[in-house]
Amino acid sequence: MFGINNFKKISEWVWELPSNFRADMEVPARVYASEKMLEDIFRDESIPQLVNTATLPGLVKYALVMPDAHEGYGFPIGGVAAIRASDGVISPGGIGFDQNCGVRVLLSDYQAAELKPYLEKLADKIQKEVPSGLGKGRQVKLSIEQIDKILEGGSKHLVEQGYGEAGDIEYCESNGCMRQAQAAVVSDKAKMRGRDQVGTLGSGNHFLEVQKVEEIFDEKVAQTFGLFAGQAVVMVHTGSRGLGHQNCTDYLQLLDKAASQYGIKIPDRELACVPFSSPEGQRFFSAMAAGANYAWANRQMITHHIRKAWQTVFSKGNLSLLYDVAHNIAKVETHEVDGQKMELVVHRKGATRALPAGHPEIPTKHKQVGQPVLIPGSMGTASYILVGSKGGRESWYSTAHGAGRTMSRHAAIKSISGQQIVKDLQALGIVVKCHNLRGIAEEAPQAYKNIDEVVEVVHKAGLSRRVAKLVPLAVIKGE
Amino acid sequence: MGQKYEVLPHTADYKVKVFGNTKEELFSNAVLAMYDGLKPRLSPGNERIKKSISLNSADSSALLADFLSEVLYLMQVHKEVYNELRFLSLIDSQLAVKLTGQKVEGFGEDIKAVTYHDLDVHQRNDGSWEAMILFDI
Repeated sequence: MFGINNFKKISEWVWELPSNFRADMEVPARVYASEKMLEDIFRDESIPQLVNTATLPGLVKYALVMPDAHEGYGFPIGGVAAIRASDGVISPGGIGFDQNCGVRVLLSDYQAAELKPYLEKLADKIQKEVPSGLGKGRQVKLSIEQIDKILEGGSKHLVEQGYGEAGDIEYCESNGCMRQAQAAVVSDKAKMRGRDQVGTLGSGNHFLEVQKVEEIFDEKVAQTFGLFAGQAVVMVHTGSRGLGHQNCTDYLQLLDKAASQYGIKIPDRELACVPFSSPEGQRFFSAMAAGANYAWANRQMITHHIRKAWQTVFSKGNLSLLYDVAHNIAKVETHEVDGQKMELVVHRKGATRALPAGHPEIPTKHKQVGQPVLIPGSMGTASYILVGSKGGRESWYSTAHGAGRTMSRHAAIKSISGQQIVKDLQALGIVVKCHNLRGIAEEAPQAYKNIDEVVEVVHKAGLSRRVAKLVPLAVIKGE
Repeated sequence: MGQKYEVLPHTADYKVKVFGNTKEELFSNAVLAMYDGLKPRLSPGNERIKKSISLNSADSSALLADFLSEVLYLMQVHKEVYNELRFLSLIDSQLAVKLTGQKVEGFGEDIKAVTYHDLDVHQRNDGSWEAMILFDI
């Protein structure tokens, strides 16, 4: 067992479990949290899972977890691991089944107050246009050839097909397409699962909200991002759906078998991994990149349908993409380690990339200020927009990805009814368009940490800076 | 045997302990736990659908997870659920199964995948079987 006494206090917001805590740790484990939040994190399996993560071969400096940490499988959620590309490993369990689960924010020219009279109608239209995909799904079933084009072309491919505009490519992480992707290494099963899910939201904590910019913390950056006080925006949180889930499942099975050939011993099978440079490692990376491209295409198609709904309600104005960023992904990135430039495979599982000003991968428009960071809150609470900062160097330019659960879905359903939550949200003037009351109960705000506290930690620890706080106007989940 | 499976606490996902007098019963009850977790809305009509699965896995624990992954795939891609399983063989790391079930209109819940985390299949002293499975939802 462990407690706060096992941790070395690095700062008010950073705690370190030394590598001698368990014999098989390659590096120390670090937690970004306030002391109070750290005590909460001890309540589930997050720390043992982080210790397991710290055993991965080739890890550099430390295994990290963000303040929204909670137990997952393999890595804890909120986990970040930077592993040497030269002689380290890649692990599907360090990315998760929902490859490139992520967030995008669309900006309107409207004040939330102007939107209010049309909100009900807008939410209704959006709900009809964007299904969850658990029911009838999209009525369009793409061919395997079309899926292959999406796997290799990402959202870029869809924009070229007329499902978007130039800004949708420019303001998307990796321009909506990881070039390492290969459709040929994604199984037919995965492709089959993806055929009718391009443009579907999924379930669980995935959501679509019309939101209002409630507070601006940094005028200059907000202006650069195109944000203003009172503005109506749309946030989309979803990932690669069944295709990504199957893709991860396929490679977990493959890598679990292959790991022993490379003499790799791991404390949890879900952490199955192989050397990044091995044929299996390269194949998985190409497959994961394809899964990531599918997710960007999914969010792009959802954007297309939101815009269609928007245009039937409002005659003028459009929704432009502020940014789209992944929080379940592995990327090959160059970082400075002890004064030397090093190529690292950065695994982020429930953590958001947050590049500082001047970084070459940031769109020109944002270069002076830093990459937009989008952190969705739990349903009905606040979400945040932050900006990457230099202080993020110590976390491989990574930051939090959400509020983070504290209560199981089971406990949430037991403690509060979906109907009550809908009533509470409506009492706050929030429009709720959801099919599944049980799903709402599972996502009760009470089941999550306080997002304000999570954001405070990453802001004060210098991983990213607060720019704006968003609150929901309408919560939408299609059938 | 009374209880077929038990839901265990987990902050975000769906963790179950599954029981069975025989290994076949254990595997069937694991499918039941997944079936219940998906909250299917059955389609009207009583047309029975048949599918079959043959698998070869790394070991007996992986076999259970891989089998469930295969069943999940079939359920998701064909929009079906299966509640009748007939095992033609189930030895160590191999199995052959016939499944019977029906169409669904949709699922109330998404199960993303069957994880390998804390995966455990073992026989108890009394000869019955027990397994731990974590589903990502």
